[in-house]
Amino acid sequence: MDTLLEVRGLKTHFATDRGLFRAVDGISFSVPRGRTIGLVGESGCGKSVTSLSVMGLVPSPPGKVEAEAVLFGNRDVLRLTADERRKLRGGKMSMIFQEPMTSLNPVHTVGQQIIEAILAHTAMTPRAARARAIEMLELVRIPSAAQRIDDFPHNMSGGMRQRVMIAMALSCEPALLIADEPTTALDVTIQAQILDLLSDLQRRLGMAILIITHDLGVIAEVADQVLVMYAGRIVESADVNDLFADPQHPYTIGLLGSIPRIDVDRKRLATIEGTVPSPNNQPAGCRFAPRCPFADQRCRLDPPPLRDISPGHQVACWKAPVEVAS
Amino acid sequence: MSDAANSAPVLQVDGLVKHFAVTRGLIRRKTIGLVRAVEDVSFEIARGETLALVGESGCGKSTTGRLILRLMDPTAGSVRFKGKEIADLDKDALRRMRRHMQIIFQDPYASLNPRMTVGEILAEPLRVHEIGDDASRAARGRELLEIVGLLPEHARRYPHQFSGGQRQRIGIARALAANPDLIVCDEPVSALDVSIQAQIVNLLQNLQQRFGLSYLFIAHDLAVVKHISDRVAVMYLGKLVEIADKKTLYDRPLHPYTQALLAAIPKPDPALRTKRVMLQGDVPSPFRPPTGCRFHTRCPHAQARCSAEEPLLREAAPGHRVACHFFETIPAPTILARAGLANGKFAARLAAFEAAKTARAPG
Ligand SMILES: Nc1ncnc2c1ncn2[C@@H]1O[C@H](COP(=O)(O)OP(=O)(O)OP(=O)(O)O)[C@@H](O)[C@H]1O
Ligand SMILES: Nc1ncnc2c1ncn2[C@@H]1O[C@H](COP(=O)(O)OP(=O)(O)OP(=O)(O)O)[C@@H](O)[C@H]1O
Ligand code: SF4
Ligand SMILES: [Mg+2]
Ligand SMILES: [Mg+2]
Repeated sequence: MDTLLEVRGLKTHFATDRGLFRAVDGISFSVPRGRTIGLVGESGCGKSVTSLSVMGLVPSPPGKVEAEAVLFGNRDVLRLTADERRKLRGGKMSMIFQEPMTSLNPVHTVGQQIIEAILAHTAMTPRAARARAIEMLELVRIPSAAQRIDDFPHNMSGGMRQRVMIAMALSCEPALLIADEPTTALDVTIQAQILDLLSDLQRRLGMAILIITHDLGVIAEVADQVLVMYAGRIVESADVNDLFADPQHPYTIGLLGSIPRIDVDRKRLATIEGTVPSPNNQPAGCRFAPRCPFADQRCRLDPPPLRDISPGHQVACWKAPVEVAS
Repeated sequence: MSDAANSAPVLQVDGLVKHFAVTRGLIRRKTIGLVRAVEDVSFEIARGETLALVGESGCGKSTTGRLILRLMDPTAGSVRFKGKEIADLDKDALRRMRRHMQIIFQDPYASLNPRMTVGEILAEPLRVHEIGDDASRAARGRELLEIVGLLPEHARRYPHQFSGGQRQRIGIARALAANPDLIVCDEPVSALDVSIQAQIVNLLQNLQQRFGLSYLFIAHDLAVVKHISDRVAVMYLGKLVEIADKKTLYDRPLHPYTQALLAAIPKPDPALRTKRVMLQGDVPSPFRPPTGCRFHTRCPHAQARCSAEEPLLREAAPGHRVACHFFETIPAPTILARAGLANGKFAARLAAFEAAKTARAPG
């Protein structure tokens, strides 16, 4: 398959007064052209830091990004100049940020911001860029787009701001779209429309998508391949059908078990006890061991490597698959 | 909470209206239209009850929440908290009342002061309401951090040093600080991943049982809502279109919009990745809402009367009200395809996971 983005051995850490935070600790994956890769994992496991690292947006200091390579096409983005990166961002490689309010500028109208993005990466005239911006807002289902384009972000609802971000990210028809929780603020009907819009653009433009979400319903809907991340590492990687039908890592099983369902009545949701370990204080062995119901001595001492369980399905667990072990 | 329904309501909202003026021009701002964000909304919440408020993005849910806390003035209507009309309260009385009524904001990033440590953020509501001294406030802050699944030493950190989900938990801890009676939860878990979402939902339920809290739970995730709420109110373009107890709403939704919402829920199973039953048409503009029934431009059952005459919120059964002319005759939807995850090896593995967890639990 034609690989568009290849990340090898990515490590991102932050120097803080309480020591080194290894937010992302040696992960590798690739995103083929025209496909959708899902990145899931609990809050704080390093999903956003992964995407910011690829985009070259990790603040430094305190952040430091190291990798064998982060290849976009055949260029190593970590070795580009600041200028070359800026050119890439928002153009060929575009990102929808998790925090719509902090990434939109409160003193400019949403229209100014989208138009600016278009002008920076295309040869359009300002007038054409404005028409394009309105068209993009219509695509993401903002009603009365021609009027709302002159609104300031604070005049819009949470979901509308998120859609403005999506419109901005798509306005230059990127080859790679990194979407960090793109639909969390949206209700199901608009979410369904936005997901359809993304897959439509994907078909038309061959766009590759790296979608970051905690919503496994969204993953089931759009992803081709899924990466499950825990405490800065990838613990399971599989084709989407495999992941749901045959989850192997105890963490993945726990995650799938905590999805609230409308078709199942449960008094309490299944949960994974405890929280993600702090990135400056990772357990020595398997990072999931303190929360894993199956953990034994070996798990606590030796970190399990990510290994092939079947073609295209990798798991980092000494006991996978679990029913054999327990 | 069945017996809760008998006692006096904690919150009564009556005929609430909010219009925003939309202005243009930098020097001479002139009004070019009104956003009719909330239009004649009424409901009650009993002690210990959770009412969920659901609906499309931009339909007026957050605005309703803000009006209840009087973070903005309504255009019309009344909000009574424990029987008291909040419009009648002076500034001081309003401040005292706010101790008992809290909000968890939709946007955890914008709602935490970046220059305060988490400890200071959690102590602030107590200081404002003159509860305790520095030491007891700090102790309460550490306790709250543990309640929401963070660590006591996080009190010394600043908001930007946390991930999105962690910041949301700080917002929840802050809302709990002064032991309120009512919490308006504005999408409190939509920024969280499922496992922490499950912890927070369970936590909100525990707190409710312990302290008799009432929640207005604003959300768009109908699966979460089904889990946490007692009753559900559905909004469309500023208006309430259906309100019922949870079981009725999910088993027998009567409004075509509610039916469409339930049909659009993504199923956590890639094997079911078929074309969803999707609501057709665009969200109408809140500047010029459609005449008659506001949903008629997208409703699969619309008839001539729908664009001419506005449907009233009528009683379909005790406690179940619906704003649709034709709800009696609309065919029952065949939604809620029973989703998978039952197939494959998942079920057996989850059972093993839960069994191992129980075996480990102390006691
Ligand atoms: N600027 C920073 N300084 C120090 N630590 C940071 C910084 N940015 C992120 N971190 C830490 O890195 C870890 C990973 O954060 P990240 O934002 O990638 O999480 P996430 O997986 O995106 O979570 P969420 O689902 O909550 O958004 C967290 O523990 C966070 O506290
Ligand atoms: N300060 C404001 N000025 C002008 N219009 C506003 C203001 N606040 C909200 N609105 C408008 O009122 C309508 C309702 O907004 P609200 O934030 O209540 O929606 P919501 O239902 O919470 O949506 P979401 O699910 O996207 O958060 C929207 O059209 C919004 O643009
Ligand atoms: S390696 Fe051990 S601790 Fe880690 S997930 Fe597997 S069973 Fe649990
Ligand atoms: Mg994130
Ligand atoms: Mg809102």
